[in-house]
Amino acid sequence: MTQFIVKPGTKNLHHEGEKLITTHCCYCAMQCGMHIRVNEKTGKVVGVEPRYDWPVTLGKMCPKGVTAYQTVDHEERITKPLIKKNGEFVESSWDEALDLIEKNFKRLQKEHGKDALSVYGGVSMTNEKCYLVGKYARVALGTRFVDYNGRFCMSSAAGGFMKTLGTDRGATLPWPELEHTDCFFIAGWNAAECHPTSIQWLWKARDKGAKMIVVDPRETQIARLADVHLDIKSGTDSALANGMLHIIVRDGYVDEAYVKERCNNYEEMKEKVKEFTPEYTSKITGVSVEKLEKAAKIYGQSPRSVVMFCRGIEQQSKGVDNVSIYTSMALLRGQIGKFASGVATVTGQGNGQGGREHGQKADALPGYRKIADPEHVKYVAGVWGIKPEEMPKAGVSAYEMFDEIQKGNIHAMHVMCSNPAVSAPNTEYVWDSLRKLDFLVVSDFFMSETAEFADVVLPATTWAEDEGTTTNLEGRVIRIRKVKDPIGESKTDWQIMKLIAERMGKGKFFPYENVPQIFEEFRLASKGGKADYYGITYDRIDKEDGVFWPCPSEDHPGTPTMFKEKFGTPDGKANLAVVGWQEPAEIPTAKYPHTLTTGRVVFHYLSGTQTRRVKFLMEQCPLPYAELHPELASQYNLANGDKVKLTTPRSSMVLDVRLTKAIRNDHVFVPYHWGKELSVNQLTNPALDPTSRMPEFKVCAVKIEKV
Amino acid sequence: MKKIMYLEFERCIGCRSCQAACRECGGHDAKERNYVEYVDFLESRQTFPMMCMQCKDPACARVCPANAIQITDDGVVLSAMEEKCIGCRNCTFGCPFGIPKFDFEENKMYKCDMCYDRTKHDIAPMCASVCPSDAIRFIDHDEMMELRRKRTQLNLIEGKKPSENNKWQYVPEFFGVYSD
Repeated sequence: MTQFIVKPGTKNLHHEGEKLITTHCCYCAMQCGMHIRVNEKTGKVVGVEPRYDWPVTLGKMCPKGVTAYQTVDHEERITKPLIKKNGEFVESSWDEALDLIEKNFKRLQKEHGKDALSVYGGVSMTNEKCYLVGKYARVALGTRFVDYNGRFCMSSAAGGFMKTLGTDRGATLPWPELEHTDCFFIAGWNAAECHPTSIQWLWKARDKGAKMIVVDPRETQIARLADVHLDIKSGTDSALANGMLHIIVRDGYVDEAYVKERCNNYEEMKEKVKEFTPEYTSKITGVSVEKLEKAAKIYGQSPRSVVMFCRGIEQQSKGVDNVSIYTSMALLRGQIGKFASGVATVTGQGNGQGGREHGQKADALPGYRKIADPEHVKYVAGVWGIKPEEMPKAGVSAYEMFDEIQKGNIHAMHVMCSNPAVSAPNTEYVWDSLRKLDFLVVSDFFMSETAEFADVVLPATTWAEDEGTTTNLEGRVIRIRKVKDPIGESKTDWQIMKLIAERMGKGKFFPYENVPQIFEEFRLASKGGKADYYGITYDRIDKEDGVFWPCPSEDHPGTPTMFKEKFGTPDGKANLAVVGWQEPAEIPTAKYPHTLTTGRVVFHYLSGTQTRRVKFLMEQCPLPYAELHPELASQYNLANGDKVKLTTPRSSMVLDVRLTKAIRNDHVFVPYHWGKELSVNQLTNPALDPTSRMPEFKVCAVKIEKV
Repeated sequence: MKKIMYLEFERCIGCRSCQAACRECGGHDAKERNYVEYVDFLESRQTFPMMCMQCKDPACARVCPANAIQITDDGVVLSAMEEKCIGCRNCTFGCPFGIPKFDFEENKMYKCDMCYDRTKHDIAPMCASVCPSDAIRFIDHDEMMELRRKRTQLNLIEGKKPSENNKWQYVPEFFGVYSD
C-alpha cells in the first residue's frame, strides 16, 4: 500500500523517519495531487508534501487541501459501531449492529415490500464505491429507491450536456490547455473560493492577454479582475445567455460552417433569440446594455474561448436550460472539440464526475446506461449475475425520497458519504422526514448532523484509509492510494456494503476481497457505455498521469478532448438550445422583497462535516454570515456585525451582518456549510428542475429584519 | 540558495493557503509566520499576502538588544535564538511589515525562516509551493527579471504605454480595473 510516485528531477522534502505516499486531495473535483507524510514508527499521518509534478495542479493546494490530512487521525473519528438506545448512542460490536440492521431491513421489507428500503449515496468517494452503491441498492437490498447527493451538485450540468452534446463529460478539454485560451466566459463560478487551484491556469492565460467575462451577482475575486463583470440578478441566467446568443447572431460572430455541419436547431434558435435584444435582456437581468454588448463583443471576437459554469447557474429550477443555452454559446462560436477551447462545468465534489456515471442515480446504470433501456438492463444484469427482470425500476431523486418517506413509501434508509440534514434544501422538512423513518443507518467517520438522526451509525473510513480511483473535473481518471490502515474498528464503505449484502442473503454477488477486484468488475460494467472505463488500468493511470474516459480498450489512448469529430447524440450533431425565459420559482414580493443566494467559502467543503473539525479552517471562518451591500443594509439600519433575521416562506434564521460593496444591492448571500440552526438550507427553496431534479438553492425571496 | 521569493499582490485570491501551509513547515509548531489581509472588504475582495522580506539589513535584528536574531550565509533572517532572546518584543514593533510575532506562553519570538529546511535544498517554501494563484513564487533571479520586463512589454502591447502623471494606466490592464 506504500507508493511514492515522482518524476525525475522533481525535488521533495523527505523528513527522517517518514514516508511519502502519493495520492490526491479528498475534497473538490480539482483532485489536487499531494503526497501524504506518514510516520513510519507510529503509522500516523503527520502532514502533507506538495506534488509538484502533478500536471493539473503542479503542487498547488487550497487551505482545505493543505489541512485535509488532519481529518484522518482526528480525535472525533467514530471508531466503533453505534446503536441508539433510549435516545443515546451506545458503542457496540459489528455483529450486534449488523444483527439489528438485518432484523429491521428484513422486517420492513416483509411488512411493506422490497421498496421499503432506500439508499442515499454520495460522490465524495471512489468510483469503485460509487459503482457499488447502485449494485448494493438494486441487488443486495432489491429496492428501486437509490439516489445520491449529486442531485444537489451537478445533475443539471449532466442534464444540459446530455441534451445538447449527447454525452456528459464535465470538461471537453484538459485543464492545462486553459493557459492557451484567449477568452473565458465564466458564469456562476466563484473560482477563487470553490476551485482555487484552477486560478493558476486562468492567471497564466491572463498573463498572455486573455480576456475574462464573469457572470455573478457578487463581485467575486475573479469578477473583480474581469474585463467585464455582468452583475446579474440571481436566477436570470437563461435570459442573459439568450441575450448573448442574440448579439452573437446579430453581429455575425457565428461560425456558420461549424454550426451547419455539426449542430441542429440553428434556425429555430435564431428565431427564439430574436426577442432577447440587449434592452430586453438588460431589463430582466439587471445588467446594463453596455456591459452586455461589450461582453458579447469580446467573447464573439476571441479565436479560442471556453465557456465555464458551475453551481451558480445549475442550482436553479431551470438549471438544465441554463446549461443548454450557455453550451450553445460555445457551439455557435464553433469552439467545442478544439484546442484550448470548449465548454466546462466545474464539478464540486471530489468524484462528482465519476460518481454520477455509474449507477448511483435513480434512473441510471454503470457506464451512463439507462434503467429505462431493456438492452442496458440486460447487459448490466449479465455483469452482476442477476436476471434482467430482477432489476428494480427507476426510483426518485434525492429530495423526492423525503417526499416518499412522508407518503409512507420509504421506511428505512442507508445514508453513505452524505449529510442531507445540512445539504438538502428546506431542511426542516428533511429533518422531519428523517425522524419519520422507522430505521436509519448512516455510514460516516464523523458524527454528522444526519448521523445524529440514525438508529445505527457505522464507522466508515476516510479517503486515506482505502484505495481506488476517482474521476476529476476534466474526466481524467486518477488513483487514490491507501495511506494507512483504518483506525479502530472502522471499515471501508465497500466492506460495509458487502457485510450487509451477506446478511441479506446476497453475499455471493459481493465476493470482493480487495478494491482491484471491484475495479475489474466495474470496468466490465462500464464497457460499451458512454462513460467507458474498460481500457483504464491502475498501471496506466500511474504511467500516463491519469487516463481520460471514454477509453474503450487498453490500447486506446483515452480522450482528453471530447467531440473532436462528432457529438454523443444519436445523429452525431449537437442540439442548440431553443429555450425561452422563465422566472425563478420564487421572485421578490412585497412581503419578501429581496433575493437570497447561497454558496461556498474557501475554507469549507459541502456540509462542513470534515472542514468544521479542522482548527485552521474554523479559525478563519467559524460561523455563517449574511453578506449585504451597505445600500441595502442602510434601509434596515444595519451595521457591520449587527444581527439580522432572514425570513423566507420556509423558515427564518439569525446571522451576523458583513457589509461589502462587492455584491448586488438587492441580494443577500449566506454560505451553507453549517448544520442545524446555522444552516441556511432551512430557508432555501426546494423547487426542482423538471429534468435534473436539482433544487433551486441559488434563488429565493427573503425578508430582512434587524434583531 | 539561488532562488528568490517573488510576490505579485494583485494575483492574490485571499484563500490563505499560504497561512495554512506555513503551519505545516517542520519546526513551525503549527503557527503561521505570514498573513493575508483584505485591503478593505467594504470596498472589494482584494487581498494581499505578506511575508518576511528577509531584509538585507533587517529592522528586527537591528532593534534586538540581545543580538538574538541571526542571519544565515544565504541571507535568511531566522527567529530569535532561544538562549539569547530576552522577550522584549522590540522586533515585533521594529518590523515595518508586521512579521515577527511573540508567543506569550513559550515566551519567545517567532518569524518566517523561509522554510529553511526546504529552501536550503532549493525546494520551494511551503507558502510558495501551495499558492494557487502564483501570487507567491520561489523562482530564479533571472526568471524574476524576465517577469518584470514582460509586464512592461505587455503594457505596450495593450496600448497602455506608461506616461508621466498617469499612474493609473501604468497598472497593466489585464490585472487592473477595466478603464475604457
